[in-house]
Order: sequence, then C-alpha cells, then structure tokens
Amino acid sequence: MSSHDNAPVDPNTVELWDYEDHGHDFIGTRTLGFWLYMMSDAMIFAALFAAHGVYVRNFAGSFTSQEVVHPMNAIWPTVFILSSVMTYGLGMVALKKGNKSGVVNALILSFLLGVGFLLMEWREFSELAAMGAIPQMSGFLSDFWTIVIAHAAHVLFGLIWMAVMIVQVAVNGFDQNNVYRLLNLKIFWHFQAVIWVSIFTFVYLFGAI
Amino acid sequence: MSHANSNPIDHPEVQLASPGAYLVAYAAALGAMFLELWLVVAHVLSPISLTTAITVIALLVITVQMYLLFKLDLSKTQIWFTVSFIMTAPLIFMSIGLTIWMFITLMQRTMLPGM
Repeated sequence: MSSHDNAPVDPNTVELWDYEDHGHDFIGTRTLGFWLYMMSDAMIFAALFAAHGVYVRNFAGSFTSQEVVHPMNAIWPTVFILSSVMTYGLGMVALKKGNKSGVVNALILSFLLGVGFLLMEWREFSELAAMGAIPQMSGFLSDFWTIVIAHAAHVLFGLIWMAVMIVQVAVNGFDQNNVYRLLNLKIFWHFQAVIWVSIFTFVYLFGAI
Repeated sequence: MSHANSNPIDHPEVQLASPGAYLVAYAAALGAMFLELWLVVAHVLSPISLTTAITVIALLVITVQMYLLFKLDLSKTQIWFTVSFIMTAPLIFMSIGLTIWMFITLMQRTMLPGM
C-alpha cells in the first residue's frame, strides 16, 4: 500500500488487497461462525416465545396453565441446569491453565447435572401425559410441550456433544480442534442457561400468575 | 489473531475464562430465579406489577449472563460477537412483540363482545 506516499495513486497499478495467504485465526473463525448459528437458534426460540404469547391463555376448555405448570417443582431443574453451566465454565478455567484432568472432571460433573435436569423434565412430562394434559388438548398445551421439549432437545444434544468431548480431550488432549470444539460447546451450553431463564420466567412463572 | 502454529491454549478466547465471572453469573441467575419464584408464590404484587417485575428481573439476568458468560464487550477479540448479538436482539424483540400485538388486536377486532 502506498497511502502514506505523496505521489498520486495510479488506478491501473494500485494493489487493493493481498493475494497471499497470511494464515487466519483457525479457532476464532470457528467460534464466531458457531456464535452466528446460536443467534439463528435464538430466532427459533423467539418464534416459540411469540407463539407462547399468543396461546398463553388458549386453554380450549381443557387444563389451565395453573393446573399444568408448577414453578415450585420447576425451580429444581433450574438449579441443575444453572449449576451444570457453572461447572462447564470452571472446566474452561481448567482449559486456560492447560489442566486436562480438570477439564475432564468438570465436563463429567456438568454432564451428570445435565442428565439430572433431563430426568426431572422426563418425570414432569410423564406426569402431564398420565393426567391427560397432552399437546393436542389445547393451543396452550401444544405450545407448552413444544417450547420445553425444544429446550430439552438442545440439552440432550449438548450432553451427547459433551460425552464426545470428554473422550476426545482424554485421548487427544488440547489440540487445535479440541480447543475450538470446547469453546463452541461452551457457547452452546451457556446459551441453554439463558434460554432456561426465559422459559422459567415466561412459561412457568407467567403460567402460575 | 493467533497463528496456526501457536499453542491453542494461548488463544485469547480461551484466556477469557474467568472463575469469578462464572460464579457471579451463577449466583445472580440462581438468586434472581428464587426471587422471581418468591414474588409469584407469595402474591405480594398485583398481577400486572408482578408480570412487569419478573420480566424486568429476567431481562437483567440475561444481560448479566450475556456480559459475564459470553464476555460480550468491545474488545478486539469479542467485538464481532457483540455486534452480531446487538443486531439479533432487536429481531428477537420484534418477532415476539409484533406477533403478540398482531394476534391480540386481531382477537379484539374479530371476537364478539362478551365471548
């Protein structure tokens, strides 16, 4: 570039870009790409919360939200998912220190807390099915099942990913691929805490008011 | 920007990890969820005030999480994460807000009075 020269720029010869490959940020491009995926995933939840806002009192003569939603029970999955996210964060602190066993142990603990979260959801929805509060009963119930199970599906796939990462870190350590995957899973997993705060507030607590 | 040959653990996004930030985000989110639960169960506010209060608390918690869990700031490492979030957030609020507004006004225009 000759921007600091006083000579006038010849448009026929000026070079506006580099033709050589300077080596890019292997990890940074992948985490930013995955973050943009999370932003579009957030739009899926936006659509589900929009539907929730429309169907929130649409009981169709069936179960009301007060009969279906129990915030005193839903606080326990809240504790589990937030604890799992915090534990994963401590795993990222161990990664920063290059502590392999620290990362594996944190991921195992985070995994177990996530499994606990899913088991509680399983029990809640089994009870709803047993009392007949199934999705086809009303707009509200369709919406309630869809929004909570969409989040649970995210947690399930996060747990599968976490199990894979525990093995990959144990076998291959902190190579470039594992580090960007751990960072991406951190984005994915921490995002589930944000979504759950919204579900607990706008679905469970609003439903009980 | 790191180079392909450097130690991946030295990458700035790995080095952002902070136990203090994660613990504060955890305590804030958990404390806020118990506070919201207490507000709802104890019936200390009218339904409108209650709805407003827990909405504000949830939005505050999400803001704290965005800053402490994802470190969304204007640093060289993070600025594009922050920009993409700031450009997505209005889409989220518009899609939720406009959909609800559309259906509430539709209901008011189409439902018979008293039904």
